[in-house]
Amino acid sequence: MSYAYLFKYIIIGDTGVGKSCLLLQFTDKRFQPVHDLTIGVEFGARMITIDNKPIKLQIWDTAGQESFRSITRSYYRGAAGALLVYDITRRETFNHLASWLEDARQHANANMTIMLIGNKCDLAHRRAVSTEEGEQFAKEHGLIFMEASAKTAQNVEEAFISTAATIYKKIQDGVFDVSNESYGIKVGYGGIPGPSGGRDGTVSQGGGCCS
Amino acid sequence: MTWIPYKRSWDGIDSTGHNVNAGLLEKDRNLYTIRAVPLTDVHSIHRHAPPLGWQYVIVVLSSGLAHPPLYFYNGGVREFLATIKQHVSLLRSRDDANVFLVNDLQDPLQKSLSSLELPRAVPGSNGTALHSSISSSFSNETPGRLNDATVDGKSTTTEYNGKQKQKFNDPARDISIQVLEKFSLVTKFARETTSQLFRESHHDSSNSYERMQWMNSGSINMASIEPTIKQKVPDENPATLDSLQVDKLSLVWGKARQSPLNYVEWATFLDSEGRVKDSEALRKRIFYGGVENNLRKEVWRILLGYHAYDSTYAEREYLASVKKSEYDVIKSQWQSISPSQAKRFTKFRERRGLIEKDVVRTDRSFTYYDGDDNQNVTLLHDILLTYSFYNFDLGYCQGMSDLLSPILFVMENESEAFWSFVALMERLGPNFNRDQNGMHSQLFALSKLVELLDSPLHNYLKQADCLNYFFCFRWILIQFKREFEYEQVMYLWEVFWTHYLSEHFHLYVCVAILKRYSRKIIGEQMDFDTLLKFINELSGHIDLDGIIRDAEALCVCAGENGEACIPPGTPPSLPIEAESMYLPQDDDL
Ligand SMILES: Nc1nc2c(ncn2[C@@H]2O[C@H](COP(=O)(O)OP(=O)(O)OP(=O)(O)O)[C@@H](O)[C@H]2O)c(=O)[nH]1
Ligand SMILES: [Mg+2]
Repeated sequence: MSYAYLFKYIIIGDTGVGKSCLLLQFTDKRFQPVHDLTIGVEFGARMITIDNKPIKLQIWDTAGQESFRSITRSYYRGAAGALLVYDITRRETFNHLASWLEDARQHANANMTIMLIGNKCDLAHRRAVSTEEGEQFAKEHGLIFMEASAKTAQNVEEAFISTAATIYKKIQDGVFDVSNESYGIKVGYGGIPGPSGGRDGTVSQGGGCCS
Repeated sequence: MTWIPYKRSWDGIDSTGHNVNAGLLEKDRNLYTIRAVPLTDVHSIHRHAPPLGWQYVIVVLSSGLAHPPLYFYNGGVREFLATIKQHVSLLRSRDDANVFLVNDLQDPLQKSLSSLELPRAVPGSNGTALHSSISSSFSNETPGRLNDATVDGKSTTTEYNGKQKQKFNDPARDISIQVLEKFSLVTKFARETTSQLFRESHHDSSNSYERMQWMNSGSINMASIEPTIKQKVPDENPATLDSLQVDKLSLVWGKARQSPLNYVEWATFLDSEGRVKDSEALRKRIFYGGVENNLRKEVWRILLGYHAYDSTYAEREYLASVKKSEYDVIKSQWQSISPSQAKRFTKFRERRGLIEKDVVRTDRSFTYYDGDDNQNVTLLHDILLTYSFYNFDLGYCQGMSDLLSPILFVMENESEAFWSFVALMERLGPNFNRDQNGMHSQLFALSKLVELLDSPLHNYLKQADCLNYFFCFRWILIQFKREFEYEQVMYLWEVFWTHYLSEHFHLYVCVAILKRYSRKIIGEQMDFDTLLKFINELSGHIDLDGIIRDAEALCVCAGENGEACIPPGTPPSLPIEAESMYLPQDDDL
């Protein structure tokens, strides 16, 4: 399928926070509780539309295992967007965010758009991290923030799409030299290889859910 | 025919297997010897007399396999052929004056083609079995270098200092690899091209000089002397085969795969008390065909080294009962941790949490582990947690559950699965070292093997900044567990565990797969991302038997040089010093 732009995304965060489930929910619109843990990296892709333009998201779902990091980091190269995921029912996954962020900032390009996702918000009764804390962390580090659930699909579309919308806006604003593929953006048919007067996509940003 | 190398000069070869020899250590001689091959098994002899460098011959067997080149440092090829001629009919090929067909009176070309294609045309055929095992080493050594090189190559206990062993200072070695590559390129396209296939590649003097230079700088390069072969593919125009196109032709001369070892045959390997009589023969048999599923329980424990090859039925039974109690003791260590103790034992809680999360994400679509409250999932959990106490330094790391899953499925017994897993982890444990050194050393060895066996691909990957080989990470970490069907994985693993041609056969499998797609990778100019995605998506689409055969061919072809690419102690080799096997994991897990 032809696209105006292709964006490379990475999904990062501790093991078991639901990265693979989020990806599957986004690409296949289903929650598959029995699937294999991720070794190395897995891929997914989906077309979305922003500003009436077809945009292809190519998503890299990385393994969360700590000791693989020296290798998984190499997969960050040239990503336009990152979903940084923690599990709202496990405090430690939230505590590790800073180190993930540092890794991402170091090994991906500086203009990468990062979306912080507090996943498993369907398990509100077991919540260990409040929405406010998530918001606060995002604000301090200049991230977009949402709580989501790969199980109920709540905010899953929104998270992926608003990240894309932000990237798209950056393109319109001329933040990137899109001809340079190290930004994780490929220009396809109908994409404008430079700044233009386009406006933001249809999706609003931010906000917690089910808090 | 026997080939026993002799230092400093060509010494002799005769049809009776007797040979004169002097000046060689027993060990060195074994290394470079080709044990007796009946002349009836020899298909042809190819003479090579490069304008520069030593003359050599290559002996091609009827099975399609070729021995490594036999070098003649002081002449003697003519005498060699004359000697052979006293025993068998030797016919110069009509198509190539340097090819001598042995025992081949009618329609030589036709017969040579059919014999070269035999492995593929008659799958499962045993008729082509060799009477001798192929020596995986190369023949003679440069005068004066023999002792050095052999000690260097074989001793795994010598200290290992550099990143790579500098063993490539013998031009003969380089050329030999290259030539063997040529031999390997016989495929279904070969019918029209055979006449040109064995022709000497033209390398001029400057070329050889350059090669010497590379050799001296410790690297080798084979791209410059890729053979020029014409290829005819129905849907493509005949074109000169350049170095990239060569890879389109797949290797065909790994031996035909056999049917799995069955119960009746297994019994013939055992003496009356259950000892394996000839472990080498058994390992070879399994290497070529695997094991029937109902035998795996018994055979795997031996292959993995949990039971010794020379143990008796009674000893194995006894060991199993001793080990059962030992297992129970280790298991009770974590079972006896009370909730209030666990509350103060973060490391334990974290490990347990990780294992709990992972066993429910391991092979759940496979019947043995599917469904809610599956008892086997609980066993996976218990064994892994027990292992993390047995080997507390290594602990638990993702990927281990993938390795344990088939073992538990086969053993159907908690303690036996545990000890078999322990035996496997003796070799693969370093894959899970926190600092990833086990993985890095294998990826490094892989890059060296590709450099040796597919230099166009190596050069491309270098230029594309992909030499870290991270795209092969999953293949190696869990031994292709995610790349094949469950049944195929078990078969591939037992092939690996035989350590028949190499302890590092899995790396040759990596090379074989990459080599199959080498042309595509280079042709499409894949960058790191594209390559990673491409490799990931090969999962489920790899022709396993074909790849094992290619890997076998590559392994034989690379011989000594291949093993020299792999630093001592690279997993699954046992570590050089046992104590350094696991570095204590310094932080939380
Ligand atoms: N209730 C609930 N469970 C979820 C949700 N997302 C994931 N899970 C569960 O969390 C577990 C881990 O999810 P994965 O998607 O495999 O986690 P991951 O982040 O990909 O983990 P690694 O691949 O190990 O890095 C799974 O068993 C899912 O069933 C969610 O939104 N709600
Ligand atoms: Mg995952």
